[in-house]
Amino acid sequence: MSSEIAPESAPEHPNAGDTAAVQPLAAGASAEHPLSAGASTEHPLDGAYVALARPRAGWAFLGSEIAVLFRRRRTWVMLIALAAIPVLIAVAVRISSAGSTPGRGPAFLGQITNNGLFVGLVALIICIPLFLPLTIGVVAGDTIAGEASSSTLRYLLVAPVGRARLLLVKFVAAAAFCVAATLVIIVAGALIGAALFPIGSVTLLSGDTVSLGEAGVRALLIAAYVTLSLLGLTAIGMFISTLTDIPVGAMAATVVVSIISQVLDSLPQLDWLHPWLFTHYWLDFADLLRQPIDWSSFGSNALLQLAYVAVFGALAFGRFSTKDILS
Amino acid sequence: MTNNKWKRWIPAAVIPVVIAGVAIAVPLSANATDSLPTKSPQDVLAMIGDSTVTAFSGTVEQTANLGLPELPAGISASSLGASGTGSGTGSDSNASPSPSSTGSSGTSGSSGSSGSAAGPSAADVSSALQLLTGTHTARVYVDGATQQRVQVIDQLAETDLVRNGSDVWQYDSSKQTAVHTTLPAKSGSAGDNSGDATVQTPEQLAQKFLDDVDPTTNVSVGGDVTVAGRSAYDLILTPQATDTLVGSVSIAVDSATGLPLQVSVTARGAADAAFSTGFTALDLSTPSADLFSFTPPAGTVVTEKTMTEKPAPTGSAAAGSGAASGAPDGSAAAKPVVTGSGWDAIVELPAGTDASALTSSPLLGELTTAVDGGHVLSTTLVTVLVTDDGRVYAGSVSADQLQAAAAAK
Repeated sequence: MSSEIAPESAPEHPNAGDTAAVQPLAAGASAEHPLSAGASTEHPLDGAYVALARPRAGWAFLGSEIAVLFRRRRTWVMLIALAAIPVLIAVAVRISSAGSTPGRGPAFLGQITNNGLFVGLVALIICIPLFLPLTIGVVAGDTIAGEASSSTLRYLLVAPVGRARLLLVKFVAAAAFCVAATLVIIVAGALIGAALFPIGSVTLLSGDTVSLGEAGVRALLIAAYVTLSLLGLTAIGMFISTLTDIPVGAMAATVVVSIISQVLDSLPQLDWLHPWLFTHYWLDFADLLRQPIDWSSFGSNALLQLAYVAVFGALAFGRFSTKDILS
Repeated sequence: MTNNKWKRWIPAAVIPVVIAGVAIAVPLSANATDSLPTKSPQDVLAMIGDSTVTAFSGTVEQTANLGLPELPAGISASSLGASGTGSGTGSDSNASPSPSSTGSSGTSGSSGSSGSAAGPSAADVSSALQLLTGTHTARVYVDGATQQRVQVIDQLAETDLVRNGSDVWQYDSSKQTAVHTTLPAKSGSAGDNSGDATVQTPEQLAQKFLDDVDPTTNVSVGGDVTVAGRSAYDLILTPQATDTLVGSVSIAVDSATGLPLQVSVTARGAADAAFSTGFTALDLSTPSADLFSFTPPAGTVVTEKTMTEKPAPTGSAAAGSGAASGAPDGSAAAKPVVTGSGWDAIVELPAGTDASALTSSPLLGELTTAVDGGHVLSTTLVTVLVTDDGRVYAGSVSADQLQAAAAAK
């Protein structure tokens, strides 16, 4: 991420000697880069694209940012933790001798023994209220504050990277994590379900049965829906991240915001507010499991999340572009 | 640079304004209708009668604000639309104070039994009450008189009522149960016959009110309204009787097809509708035939039922249909008696029905208040009196009138 800094500029900056990032390195090499959180993470340095034209450099910047995110040990731990949830569910259902009573526990739990593909859905229902917002909060809250706290932000901006472009790249990388997190749950659920239970044609909420192939398409649609649902929170997290230099604070605040929104959504006295809460449509992904598909919640959710991204993206730009970068 | 800093906040200021503007302007523009040609109430009534719409699909939203307390959320998913025939699973596995279903006997008991119903079990009462509180959404598909499908939509759950010819399937996704009913050859719509608690379409409800249009009702046409993006006439029925709880009934009639699009019932003296059901989306094309062929999915507990010919309906109270929907009318002993006519009619279910289940239900115990000679369930539109000796009186009248009717017997 700090790779666009011209190597010549490094000696002029105090503290520059602390980081390996400013050392001129061969393309593709990576260097250990200390973070304030204490975690040692790998930052790839791709010095080759410094010389590239700006449009291509933008894509390379994005690619580099995503690579940094997914090479972090923290990212892997979070994805593995998410993948462990469907595994836990499947194993628990498999080893419990008593058949589960339909109507108890999370929706679809009773269908797992008939069809292992439902493991991923049950895991999604369990993850959406807390675990997914938690991981999104960590990633989104870290976007700007993490750079600031590890003193890499100013080097990023010394290089000819506009602040708007930096925000955009950070947001797209965080959105890529949303895609990965959702897919990890669904794919891990499908794999462990296929390993422990019979799989076959899938019963929809309407009582109709669809083939395995169509069920796969609908699972991908659900992944798209859940990813979309998380973008509003990602934008909120990025805005909070521009307000502080302490990444942990931004992460915690993002998670708290998602919990507050869900609490407000559960109060019937505030039903006028509910359609405006970014968590309101989170569990309505099941509308994709009706026959025919009910697209209305998909559309409402997409519009709502886009509005949140626009509002909090603009707020983040306003804050970040006027901020004095001190670290 | 410093002077221009405030410009960086322009997007943050403009975008919320734009979003708020769009959120306000879009519903307004949808409501802007060209004024329809003026029609007399008789013309609008004739339009409903001449309506030739037999196939449509749409989304119906029903909102009830009858002054009943909201039931615990746990009930909603599992017992919504539960079978009204005492053949449910009988195990309402909720943490809520769920009544034990004395009238139901598991899934095997009513298999093959003739006669339409065993009695209003307490579980059925709670499911009927559930539909009478809060907001419910259903998708409705209709192709002619014999092919219908109603999907009552809940978050992560759904209850389906599918009729294809003489086969009626009821499927509950959360319980994974299905009830298969075979109707006799001659019968009306599925919703009327099965007596099941489900969301009623606006046209079904409108028909109930229009059946009762008689000299005791003033009929007028209000201003043009827009329902589900369609311009409609607003037919307003006002009871002349002053002792009924119903203030007015407003029926939105589609200006193009004469199909009732929305029905809302307002209690006397109230400003907002106590009960309304209307389309939020409507498509007049014929739905796909696949929707009406239902095969119970694997792993579903299926209950078979055969419904024999029922005696002709003995009439229904104007607005009491919801409260009486779970009432049995198959056996002569339970035949309801209607006192009076029009809006202030009182329906009486004589003793001998399974009223002990009603009175002993802890749920009803919370909802009702003890009065002289029984318990009264009061809502803004309907009052129900359960006397101590088991008789049930219901009507859109005050509790005093029900008590007087009970005392007169």
